[in-house]
Amino acid sequence: MTVLSNAAIAPAPLIRLRRIGKKYPSAVGEFHALSDIDLCIERGEFVAIVGQSGSGKSTLLNLLAGIDRPSDGELLVDGVNLSTMPQRALSAWRGVHVGIVFQFFQLLPTLTAAENVMLPMDFARRLASRDRRPRALMLLDRLGVADQADKLPAALSGGQQQRVAVARALANSPAILLADEPTGNLDSRTAQSLLDVFAALVRDGQTIVMVTHAHAAIDQATRIVTLADGRIVDAVHV
Amino acid sequence: MFDSRGKKILRDVWLYKSRTLLVAAAVAIGMIGAGALLDTWALVQRVTVQTYLASHPVSATLRVESFDDALLAQVRAMPDVAAARARRVVGAYVESGGTQVGAELFALQDWQAHDIGALKTERGTWPPRDGQIVIENSALEFSGAALNETLTLQVGKNPPRALPVVGVARDVGLPPGWMDHIVYAFVTPATLASLGASSDFDEIQIVVRDTSLSRDGVRRVAQAVKSDIERSGHRVTNIDVPEPMRHPHAAQMNSLLLTQGAFALLTLLVCALLIVNLITALLANQTKQIGVMKALGGSAGQIAAIYLGYALLLGVIASAVALPAALAAAYPYAALKAEMLNFPIVGVSVPWWAIALQFAVGCLLPVAAAAIPVSRACRLPVVAALQDPGIATDGLYVRRRIALPLVGRPLQLSIANAFRRRQRVMLTLLALATGGAVFLGADNLRESVRASVDRIFDGQRYDAAFRFADEYPSAALESVASNVDGIAHAQALASARVSVAHADGFTGDVFALVGMPTDSPLLAPLLDSGRWLNGADENALVVSRSLLKDEPSMHPGASIELTLGGKATSWNVVGVVESGPQLLAYAPLATFNARRGDERASQVVVQTMAHSAAMQLDTVARVRAEFERAGMPVASSLLTREVRRAFEDHLLMVVEFLSAMGWLMIAVGGMGLASTMSLAVLERTREIGVLRAIGARHPAIVAMIEAEGLVIAVLGWVAALPLSVPMSVALSSAFGEVMFSVPVRALPRLSGALGWLLLAAVVSLIACAMPARRATRISVAAALSYE
Repeated sequence: MTVLSNAAIAPAPLIRLRRIGKKYPSAVGEFHALSDIDLCIERGEFVAIVGQSGSGKSTLLNLLAGIDRPSDGELLVDGVNLSTMPQRALSAWRGVHVGIVFQFFQLLPTLTAAENVMLPMDFARRLASRDRRPRALMLLDRLGVADQADKLPAALSGGQQQRVAVARALANSPAILLADEPTGNLDSRTAQSLLDVFAALVRDGQTIVMVTHAHAAIDQATRIVTLADGRIVDAVHV
Repeated sequence: MFDSRGKKILRDVWLYKSRTLLVAAAVAIGMIGAGALLDTWALVQRVTVQTYLASHPVSATLRVESFDDALLAQVRAMPDVAAARARRVVGAYVESGGTQVGAELFALQDWQAHDIGALKTERGTWPPRDGQIVIENSALEFSGAALNETLTLQVGKNPPRALPVVGVARDVGLPPGWMDHIVYAFVTPATLASLGASSDFDEIQIVVRDTSLSRDGVRRVAQAVKSDIERSGHRVTNIDVPEPMRHPHAAQMNSLLLTQGAFALLTLLVCALLIVNLITALLANQTKQIGVMKALGGSAGQIAAIYLGYALLLGVIASAVALPAALAAAYPYAALKAEMLNFPIVGVSVPWWAIALQFAVGCLLPVAAAAIPVSRACRLPVVAALQDPGIATDGLYVRRRIALPLVGRPLQLSIANAFRRRQRVMLTLLALATGGAVFLGADNLRESVRASVDRIFDGQRYDAAFRFADEYPSAALESVASNVDGIAHAQALASARVSVAHADGFTGDVFALVGMPTDSPLLAPLLDSGRWLNGADENALVVSRSLLKDEPSMHPGASIELTLGGKATSWNVVGVVESGPQLLAYAPLATFNARRGDERASQVVVQTMAHSAAMQLDTVARVRAEFERAGMPVASSLLTREVRRAFEDHLLMVVEFLSAMGWLMIAVGGMGLASTMSLAVLERTREIGVLRAIGARHPAIVAMIEAEGLVIAVLGWVAALPLSVPMSVALSSAFGEVMFSVPVRALPRLSGALGWLLLAAVVSLIACAMPARRATRISVAAALSYE
């Protein structure tokens, strides 16, 4: 393994974090969830963020997704400064540039698999209406669950639901796929299958940042960033 | 057709179908009430324009002592007069079902005139020929007559005569005969003569050219006509100017509809509260979904559109049910209202704008009600939304442990549960309390009306009144009646139709002036202000409160001039009495007779020694027979208790119309409670699972849910008590607008309060039945894993 500097190396990294901090008010004063985070992620990287519970992994992922804002520092994604972007613009930006996969899948229970995948397209409106279902079916097919397209989430297994969730995350061809413990709620065989999907996506040039505890997941990553007490303590290319 | 968001709306409706339908049903009920009233009002307005205004209603009636065609032509030629006609109205009696009832016979110079008070033939022949009679449509049933049969009429002491009923016509300018208990009919002057009445016309009726004139404006024109007539050497004894272009009963109808409409709006407000409850619960259930959608790129506006779309769909469902139901309810109600105005409702449709307005309100009300909770939920930061713990672990705490002595733990839990969702409980309480306040307000108004009727009739200490077709010496009338066994007192009452001659030359509306002995033991009207007549009074006048309302210049202390028998007479108003809606004034009999130059009367009231209705009827029959023997035939007789009952029924009907909206609100409030309890059971599914897992049996679960509902119902009952005070004042005020002023009873009666408590308890038990059933039907395992 090669230890890399936290400073930006590539001329135009996809993601750049400079002295990022995140603190929350608490009953006993401010709680520093993240402190002095400097990190660059290049296009096509598969980054695994690891660490103990409460180390700041999910907070970091939330910042990268633009669903939370840093308290300090500068966060640039694809050249856009998320720290200063208005909330409304952030939603639209997120819909196009970021795909998110949650630990508990978080499919909308009243929409079918295909409709769940079409939902981000409906929000983003970059594709014509008639093209959305074919794209959703194509993505589901790519994830191996095309035959489940018209089923409600309750009728799918956990692995199938997570594949649908990945398809949904890819709906608008985002530059970055963020995954928060995507295998945390799956059995080992299903988890491995999902990681194979991620590996295939990376081979196709997809950038993936994944928070995980799973060793199998860590093994698939091209870089491992370790957090402890809100700070990066290790960042290695594999 | 729909993208994924549209499908989500439809499926959410299906997912929450029972609660959605419950709230949609509540909104539909509110809309049916409001819509039916709007449709009724629109129908009545439309029919008013199409029938009443199209008939060119009479602007003023001038009573003229004998005139000819030349004078009528002279009036017609006046620039401010659009049309004029000659008329004579003769009081008569018709035989109906073995008794005599009052009638008014109208003879017109021109039956076919369309430019003034146009009459419309309904059936049979029109116009009547000599020796025939045409009955006004609204009086046909009341008269007991039928087309092509004969009707026996009597004018004064002249022999009765049977006339063939050849037709039925409608005069939309007349109040309904069945309401006024008068048979209106049309005959020729020659027929009047054959009945023994004068055939000369004695009224000139006019329609003013400028139909936008106010009542004062019309009075000015009528005054000019009067001056013109008097310059020609004729005498005008009275001028009657009704409210221009408004049916005599229109103000009452509009007041009633507007008051009901105000309560309907209140019901819709209650519905809006239920929608807030439903949407808030839905959003609480879907907070995490909102977070996910935001994480997927949905803007707050896009996500809000989904939930507002759900609210819109709820409104569309409610409207789809309410609009046709409101229409179905409106036609019979409008027909009833129109019947009271003597209009036909046939062939009139509800205008499109009324339907469109209802649809718009039905659709937008839920959207408007949902706007604030939706906006709040959609502005929640994504992280906070994603971290929402879900409704099963709603994070709600009872801040203080409620410990009531002698109350079992399950009941204490029910009481505590009732306060867990404070905002929702508050809104439900408000809905229930508003319905309860109207219930209690209506109860107070009912009692106020009954008390007012008691007070009015307490002053009428006679048991029966006899009316005569002709006038007879007062002493003779009293003597005949007093000589009948069972009569304790008899009192002749003289009366005349008079009007106020204002200083500016205008003449006020006609009202009844009653001359009576100041020490009469049979009549002591309820004093409102000032004083009653005394033996030393000469020019004193006591007016009814309704007359004072119509003629504000007749306040105690005022000096006024009345036109009595065509002569100006001076009077001093000394007091005001309460006598219901009647426009009348009382004067000392001696002064009245002196001013009139006559000592005859056409009415006698008697106090009997009998107490039961049967015995009083027997006494009345003997008095009538005695008058017949004395050559003073009685035209009609009425027992005071019957008059009182009819009067009370008439007033209470208006009270019931006003309180009907209270029942709607209670229904809506009950549905609100059902919705609230349904949400409470849903949110506490896991908790209920735990209770069942530790041994709570079905009856215990049901009892806990019902007890929680009862706690809310009792709180709603308590909240309704203070709320009923302003509601009682509002209802009394509304009743005063529609009928006459009644004393305000603000505090709820004990029996009313207990009745409302019982009703609230019953509503609660019914409302909680379904949620309680659901709580027992879900499996323990499923309940424990509910998120």
